[in-house]
Order: sequence, then C-alpha cells, then structure tokens
Amino acid sequence: MNYHTRRRLTGFVFLAPYFLSFCCFLLLPILVAAGLAFMRFDLTAKNSIQLVGVQNFRELMKDSYFAQALLATCRYAILMVPSLIISAFAIALGLNSMSRGRDLMRALIYLPGMFTIAVTAILWQWFYNLEFGLFNFLLKHLGSAPVSWLSDKRLAMPSIVVMALWWTAGGASVVLLTALQQIPRMYIEAAALDGANAGQLFWRITLPLLRPVLFFVVVTNTIGAFQMFPQASLLTQGGPLLSTRGVVQYMYETAFNNYRLGYAASISWALTLVIVVFISAQFFAFRRIAD
Amino acid sequence: MNARSSIGLLGLTCLVLGLVRADVFSLATAKKPKVEISFWNGFTGPDGRVMLEMIRDFNKENPDVEISMQRIAWALYYNKVMVSGLDGRGPELFVVHASALTRMHRAGIVADDDDIFQGPSGIPQSDFDPYVLEQTMFGGHHSAVPLDIHPQGMFCNSDMLKNVGIVNSDGTARVPVNRTEFIAAARGMMKLSTSLDAKFGFALTAWQNNFMSLLPQFDGHYLDANGRADLNNPGNVAALTFLGSLRNGMHLIPPPDNQMGWVGYRQQKVGMVFEGVYMLGDLLRLKDMHYVGAPIPTIGNHPGTLADSHCLCIRSGIDLKKREAAQRFIRFLSANSIRWAAAGQVPARRSVRALDAFKKMQVQSAFAKQIPFMKYPPRITTLFELGLEVQLAVEKVIRGTAQPKEALDIANTNAQRAMDRDAEQSAGSKR
Repeated sequence: MNYHTRRRLTGFVFLAPYFLSFCCFLLLPILVAAGLAFMRFDLTAKNSIQLVGVQNFRELMKDSYFAQALLATCRYAILMVPSLIISAFAIALGLNSMSRGRDLMRALIYLPGMFTIAVTAILWQWFYNLEFGLFNFLLKHLGSAPVSWLSDKRLAMPSIVVMALWWTAGGASVVLLTALQQIPRMYIEAAALDGANAGQLFWRITLPLLRPVLFFVVVTNTIGAFQMFPQASLLTQGGPLLSTRGVVQYMYETAFNNYRLGYAASISWALTLVIVVFISAQFFAFRRIAD
Repeated sequence: MNARSSIGLLGLTCLVLGLVRADVFSLATAKKPKVEISFWNGFTGPDGRVMLEMIRDFNKENPDVEISMQRIAWALYYNKVMVSGLDGRGPELFVVHASALTRMHRAGIVADDDDIFQGPSGIPQSDFDPYVLEQTMFGGHHSAVPLDIHPQGMFCNSDMLKNVGIVNSDGTARVPVNRTEFIAAARGMMKLSTSLDAKFGFALTAWQNNFMSLLPQFDGHYLDANGRADLNNPGNVAALTFLGSLRNGMHLIPPPDNQMGWVGYRQQKVGMVFEGVYMLGDLLRLKDMHYVGAPIPTIGNHPGTLADSHCLCIRSGIDLKKREAAQRFIRFLSANSIRWAAAGQVPARRSVRALDAFKKMQVQSAFAKQIPFMKYPPRITTLFELGLEVQLAVEKVIRGTAQPKEALDIANTNAQRAMDRDAEQSAGSKR
C-alpha cells in the first residue's frame, strides 16, 4: 500500500464513525420521510400503507391549519432572526470594546443558553403570567394595567420571541465576538490613519470582514427559527387560537397525536422547501452585497 | 480423638452440611424463573407512588411474578405505547383511558380479555356499572378492565366560601348545587379582591373538559344517532353560551390566560373550579388549604358530567404464562382498588365504593355521586382532532371572537371532515 492510498484510507477511517451515524440517523430517515410523503400511513389502521402519489401535497395546499402554522412560523422567523442578529451584534460590539471584565460579561450573557428550553419556558411563563407574573407585578406597581402577554393574539408571538432572544442571543454574540476579535488590528489602524470615522470603520472594514461569519449566523438561526417548536409549545401550547402553533408543532401533532405519518412527512418536506427558499434568498442577498 | 474434638468435628460437619443445603436451596429458589411483566402507565404524580406500593405488595405476595412499572407523562405516553406496541415490543400490561381505547383497539395492540371475568377467581362483571363496562367492549368482547372512574366535579375553597358567608346552619361551607347558587357564590367571592390581589369565585381550567362537563346537563352530545359529528346541536350551543356568558356577560371569570385556573385555585385566588378527581393528589400536598369536593352544580336541565376511566389492558400476542401473570395482577389491583382510591380516584367496582373506607373519602365519594349521570367522550378514533375543534370553539367564545353557534358550526364541519377522512382511510386498510 503506497503512501497516498494509506493517507486516503486513514481519512476514511476517521470519517467512518460520523459517516455511519449520518447514514443511519439522518440519511435513512430523510429517505424514509421522502417515501412516506407519497403514502397514506395511519398507525392505528394496520396494513393501511398505500401509495397515494401527490395527494398529501394536494391536501396540504387546501389545509387551513397548515397555512396558519406556516404563517405563524414565518412571523416568528421574521421577528426573531433580525432581532437576534442586531442584538447579538450589539452585544458582541459592546464586549469587544471592553477592556476589563469582558470574560465575566461574556459568561453571564452566555448563561441563559445553558438552560434547557423547558426550564426557560417555565421561568418565562411565570414572568408573563397575567395575574401573578413578574412583569405585571412591576406594571401594577408602576400604576399600569396588567398586560395579557401570552393570551393576546397580537402580543403572544412577540412575547415568545423575547424569551427566545434571551435564551439564544448569548450564543450568537459569542460567535460574533470571536469573529470580531479575529479582524487584524492593522486594517482598523490603517483606515483610522487614512481618516476614517467610527461609522466608516464599521461599515467599510468591520462588517465586510465579518460577512462569512454573519452569513453563517444568519443561516443557522434562520433554520432554527423555522424549526420553532418547544418555544411556543411550552409557553403558549400554540395558542391563543393556534396563532403561535408553528409548522413543526403541527407536524408533530399530525404524526403523533393523529397518527398520520404520511401526511406529517409531506408537511416536513413542505417546510424543507420553505427553508430552502429563505436560505437561497439570503445566500443571493449576501452575494449581491459582496459584489 | 477425644470426645470434645468429636463433638467439635460433628458440629463443623453439621455447619458445613447446613450451609451447603442452604446454598443448594437458595440456588434452587433463585433458579426458579420469574414471569416478568412490564407495566406502563402515565401515573407520574402522587398516584404513581400509590401504584408502586401496590406493585411491591403484589410482588411480595406472588414470588413467581415480577411486575416492573414504567411511568411516562401522559403527553408522550400514548405515542410510546402505540409505536412500541405495533411491532410487538410494547409492555405486556398497560393503562389506557377508556376514551383512547378505540384507537388502541383498532391498531390491534390490545388483546381481548373476556376470560378475566370468567371462572371462580374471575372479576364479577356485575360489580361494574354496565355503562362503564360498555366503554371497554368491542364487538361483544372485553378489551380491558376498568380500574377507576374519574368524573369531572367541583373543587371549592371552603375558607373563601365561609369568608363571604356562604355557610350551612352548622357553620360549614355551603357548596352551590344549582345555577343560581353557583352564580351567587362566584359573584360573592369576587368581593374578596383587593386592589393588588384579584380574587375570583370561579375560573376555567381545561376549557374542553369544562365544556364537556356541562354537555350532559344540557342534553348535548358530540355525535348524532348515525355517528356523524353533531357539535352544533342546541344542547351544546346552550352549554357554550353559558360558559361564554361567565366571561363576556357576567364578567365572573378571569381573562383567558393560558388556562391557569387550577394554579389560581391552588394559590387560593380562585374559589371554585371544575376539574377531575385525579387533581386531588395535587391538593393533598397543600397543608394550609381547606377544600371540599362536590358534584358539578346543575347549571342545565338536570345533573350530569364528563368522565373517563383508567383501563388495564393486556398486549396482544403475549404468551400464556405472561398473560396469566398479568391477569393475576389485574385481579389484585381491581380487588384492592380502595388503596388506589386514596390516590384521588373513584374505584370502578361498586363493592369497593360501598366500603366505609371509601365513603370517608370526602372528595372521591362526592364525585362518585355523579356516576349515574356521567357521560364518557365519544368512542371514535379521531377524538384528538374532534377535541381540538371543540377546544378552539370554546376558546373563540370565551375570548368573545365568535358566537357559540358560529364557533360550533365551524368545529362541526372540520370534525366531520376528519371523521370522513378517517373512515375512508380505515376502509382502505386490510384490517
């Protein structure tokens, strides 16, 4: 065995554990879901598996609950992703400019991300509670009327987004801070010597150099936002009037409460399509900015 | 060898022989195989501890059987039972609500269990209310043994009732029994509010259950005589109109905020709630709260409430030895259901409900008075989808975004669509 073959084989050996788990737990379920999307499969009616072609997708187009769930998911993503990027960026810039206590602040900001979503939701349920929650307690003491944070259709989704921001902004800001710290000082110093002001430094030097990392943060958080499930499921159970029930929650209920696996698989593929469209749009937008 | 040495040697020999014998016996005992039964349920609260104690006692009394219990939160429980049961990996014995039994039966997970009611050691069928037993029967065969009945009833905070002067002649809290008394009590307890601490006489808990509890009182129902969805019948509309008026007309209940009524009741901010008897376990932990259980007041034309049962099911396809062991355990639980009642349940067997020990359980025995008037949810496989439609209709009315008839019309159309789809699907299956 020559050197190159050995080297190639070594690479495969290192990759093998991940590749195997990828095939078993990701690729195979994706293929099964792809097949299921074209089938009718009800768990309670044994041997009911039938090939139905695109019937599930046709039903999906007419399903008002799916449309409502998709709208709720898009609302969440549109509110969540820009707020997250802006707040995480602001935190990262703030931390980057600190000369003392930065590590402690970074740890504190990252701390909420260490909680599980269940703990976070229980905590925020209490914050938001109408009668005996923290926010309304403070509002009452300030002389204001209590606010129905989670049961008002207009406020429920923004309230979920605020909780999700508290939970995730720390993680995104740490990534952006690391990227900020990787920008060579000489670029900033050279631009400053050429007379660039703070705004020009940010828009012309910092932001363009952060673009790859920013793209990564935007894409991963967009995918995460479209997969929104426990945030709403635990905080509002999808209410009021299903206004916060996202596509993933609807898919879960279809598969595991109504036992309609084929239809649930078609929902998952529809969601994948939506995510691909959004990510493609972001990709082209970033490329256009780069050009 | 002198006598002393001989006695010593004899003693040593006896000791060695004794040890060997004991070891041989213990080995023989250890080698005797136990029939292992896996028992799944959703009793994750204090009721689970009571069940665990009963299992320990059964295992002690039956050394040839080992029951091991797995508790899973109800929200996940049915998924796990269904998926594991379909390919034969499920537990040998499991608990299913009577309302969920139809789906489990159609999936072929539940074995027929007629023989448990037969023979001298069989559970006497006559000890059950026929209506309760009917809920577990498919095609004339028993599919499960009802362990308990859990009707919805009313929990009242006796201190709050007393504080507004709603008392009997002996000074005890007077529980409302009809619409007039109920509304008067709900209104009266609101007077306990302060500027920073709102109190309510009544609050909704699980909206769908609250609504369903009132349906029998208004002669409402879910399905018509042909088994088609009939959610918008006059009885249902009347029940929903009353529920909606509590918020939108009379302003007697708190704003709809994530169904926190039970939390408010526990915190003594709410005087009365409609809930299942199983919530008693939660109250038993509150040492400073004084409460009383009562039937749901007669708001409609006659008494009535919603109920369900925990049923003990044997998985289909298990071997005879395991089946016999599982049946022995079911008989044990059924015969000792007075212990289960203490966990906050009403036993399904009449003879157990007739015991003095049960009559002394204030909440359970008060809730049990509703058994002649109770109604179970409809026996359909699309119950979850139908329930969601009902839940949405109730929510719309409570929030004041739709009139009861309008909300129930929409619910009925959607529920029928789900039922039609399910009928078409099951007709296409080979089962």
